[in-house]
Amino acid sequence: MSSKTSTQRVPPPEKPETTRTRFKVIAAFWAVIIFLGLPIWWKTTSIYRAHLPFQEMVDWADAKSCRPVFPLEIQIAAPSVPDLEAQLLLRTTQHTLDDLNEFSAHHLRLKLAEDGDNTGDIREEVHGKPDTALTVRLVPQDNLPIPRSELNLETTQLDVFYSPNQSPIPSLSNSPLSTFIAGELQRLFSEEKATIAHILSNGHTQLSENISRRLRRSLKYADTYHLAFSLFTPGPAPSSWEVQEAIEGYLSPLLEAFSPISNFTVDTQVQLYATFSPTAPLPEFDESQSAWTLKQEDLSAFVNAAEWPLSPSIGSGPTINFLLYVPDPSQSPMVVKENTATSWIIPQWGGVFLLNPSLSNENPSNPPHLSKDSLRPAFMTFSHQLLTLLGTPTTPTSLPLRLQTLIRIRAATLLLSASSTMGSLARLTESLPSIPIPATVAASVSTTLSHLSAACTHLREGRFSAALDNARVAETEAERSFFEKSMVGQVYFPDEHKVAVYLPLLGPIGVPLVVGLLKEIKRIIKGLKGQ
Amino acid sequence: MQLFLRLLTLSFLFLCILPASTEHTSNWAVLVSTSRFWFNYRHLANVLSLYRTVKRLGIPDSQIILMLPDDMACNPRNAFPGTVYSNADRAVDLYGDNIEVDYRGYEVTVENFIRLLTDRLDEDVPHSKRLGSDAGSNVLVYMTGHGGDQFLKFQDAEEIGAWDLADAFGQMWEKKRYHELLFMIDTCQANTMYTHFYSPNIVATGSSELDQSSYSHHADNDVGVAVIDRWTYYVLEFLETQVTSANSKLTLGDLFDSYDESKIHSQPGVRWDLFPGGEKEGRLRTLVDFFGNVQNVEVENANATDPGSLQEDLIEITRLVEKWRKRDQEYLTTRSDASNQSSSGTSQSNTESQTLSSYFSQRKNVGPAKMDGENCWQKRLVGVSVLGACAAAWFAGSILGRT
Repeated sequence: MSSKTSTQRVPPPEKPETTRTRFKVIAAFWAVIIFLGLPIWWKTTSIYRAHLPFQEMVDWADAKSCRPVFPLEIQIAAPSVPDLEAQLLLRTTQHTLDDLNEFSAHHLRLKLAEDGDNTGDIREEVHGKPDTALTVRLVPQDNLPIPRSELNLETTQLDVFYSPNQSPIPSLSNSPLSTFIAGELQRLFSEEKATIAHILSNGHTQLSENISRRLRRSLKYADTYHLAFSLFTPGPAPSSWEVQEAIEGYLSPLLEAFSPISNFTVDTQVQLYATFSPTAPLPEFDESQSAWTLKQEDLSAFVNAAEWPLSPSIGSGPTINFLLYVPDPSQSPMVVKENTATSWIIPQWGGVFLLNPSLSNENPSNPPHLSKDSLRPAFMTFSHQLLTLLGTPTTPTSLPLRLQTLIRIRAATLLLSASSTMGSLARLTESLPSIPIPATVAASVSTTLSHLSAACTHLREGRFSAALDNARVAETEAERSFFEKSMVGQVYFPDEHKVAVYLPLLGPIGVPLVVGLLKEIKRIIKGLKGQ
Repeated sequence: MQLFLRLLTLSFLFLCILPASTEHTSNWAVLVSTSRFWFNYRHLANVLSLYRTVKRLGIPDSQIILMLPDDMACNPRNAFPGTVYSNADRAVDLYGDNIEVDYRGYEVTVENFIRLLTDRLDEDVPHSKRLGSDAGSNVLVYMTGHGGDQFLKFQDAEEIGAWDLADAFGQMWEKKRYHELLFMIDTCQANTMYTHFYSPNIVATGSSELDQSSYSHHADNDVGVAVIDRWTYYVLEFLETQVTSANSKLTLGDLFDSYDESKIHSQPGVRWDLFPGGEKEGRLRTLVDFFGNVQNVEVENANATDPGSLQEDLIEITRLVEKWRKRDQEYLTTRSDASNQSSSGTSQSNTESQTLSSYFSQRKNVGPAKMDGENCWQKRLVGVSVLGACAAAWFAGSILGRT
């Protein structure tokens, strides 16, 4: 064997120079791989995940960070009662109220008014002072067997009439007057209390049918609603309406009153020759009512969703549709069969009003133009429908009070929804490791958390409009962080797919490089041993 | 007697539970075809037939997301231009003149589909292209195309895995974007697509088991290709012949019982385990819970006087309007008093017209935005410096190279 090799021509021994060059070449290749290739591969395939304060987010979602409370400040203005007695009355009433209250997160706090004429406005400025929810004015009146109350409909003021001899006697802890006031207050805020208890318990408390129906009808909160007013008629007339004047006259006061809660944009359209859908049940003539009637169960098919242009693609935010339908002269007047109503609400969508213009007998045709006055019933109804669709509570009969209640309800809803979004985001990022978390999300999260805690503080101190403002910002930011555009999970690759991608790339390059490296290492080890 | 009592309590319990759990407030449908090209005519016809059905049962276009990756109606090979038929009798033109395709052509991608479900879309994407469902929405998701074991091909170019779909639904549930979800898929090995789902309140059904193909139903010789798939055909047959109105009381159980393997030529599957109450509860859901549109219209009784009723509200609104008008007038008179003492005797009609004109003058017309906002000198400076740097590098290179 050895003799054979000796006869074979041996390549000339390698010069140490070439060995050194080969070492340099291999080292250069590996240096490029290690110092350039690997970092680039690492950088380009890794997913950027910004740090999120998970624990804090989960705490908010689990309602550990904040327990929303609703202390309502109620001022008692009793100009005719001496100060000391008023204090006593206040204390006994407060005591009775606290005894009556079962839901501790929502409670009423009585306070003596400094000067008599503090009538609350719904757009009260915030100066670090709690919003006054209600002013109770004590008015002495002779010859009253029992106290009597009257809610002022234009302001947030409750007038309580009492006969002066019912004024609290210091020895009695439970005078009839204080019991009466406490009972009245309790009654005024009972719906609000039930609603807030329902929201805070995540819908686990039972509600009365009335309140749950209202919640079902109302739209989700948005800071901008689009109102779309449409005039539909199956014939050529009426082809114009004084809609701008009607909206300015009948609707804008309400929209103005809503301005602390939401913004509104208004769009209008007129659609002539708008027919019912072919499958919709047609109105029938009712002799006894001498009117064309629609059955109540068929009303859901009244709006021809397929053909009437009621598409909601106006900007962001929900659209509330208001439909004014003027029936054909041959089908006029048109009413609902069961109760001869001419309007109905479609929950979470809008309202419909049937306008039956008076027709002359000889030549029945609709008027070509609808004046502001003829639109009045329609737009008043639309205003009412708007109140309902926005979730305004029904019970205290005074509108300012109802709007104030709505502020508190909305603040509670937004606070909870933003908190739960935080929890969702935290769970999402933990459960989907392949999803990128950009820095903007982290920024949004921190904005949300700070506004949430600000809203919580405002609530605790009774500044509800400020709390709503903060909760609104928190909600917007929370939504933005959850729906961040770049946070789409990368398409899932099973491991065999990764092998299939990398192997054809790395195989042909990798084999000579690895073999070269092994050979070189072997040579060096041999050289070391030889020494 | 005891049995009777038990039955009574059971039915009572049932009555108590059912309304609370079935309650949903809106309906959405996401109908997706994923394949291109003329020979996949049937996949688009599948989707369009289902689109027609849900529209007939009352879901408005604004709540239907329709994804069509190709335009069969205008395909040059279509012998009946402008129409799509799902049956050789060509009785119903599915394209019709009232169809709203939300995503078409190359917009139908895996990414867009996932973005649609999770609503991770740009702010300027219009409402019609978004799934605006919420915690009270029942969502119907129907997909059809070519698929395999745990994937569904999109556009011959990419595919969506069963994991991605499960994660998308998981995120929807996490953000409360559905109340209950019905997932239907007609593709080869369709049942593998829903094996990875993990979020609750989903009922899933597919056309074929693992390693089974899903077949087309019949071809139209004049159109020249198959026009509908078997499973979809029989589902639609049931929906069209049995569910005739939006008040139908037929349930999901009825639909799934109508599956006939000898007709479908593959084994359709149903997955119940994610649904609360499992199969027993899920079978009771009516079909119109998913294919129809809930609309509990509330008529306003003009004579009722309870709080919050129409009449009560009208009084308050009138009061508000009056108050507003008064305030406006006061404001105007004080202003005119301040500006001009002599004009204090302006008539009321004059004031009114002033009120109106002041309203109108508040309205601003938004003109087109000017485009010269950018600093053009800065841009020029950047350009010059880049050019200069390049020239310098070239000079330096040539000088160094010479040496």
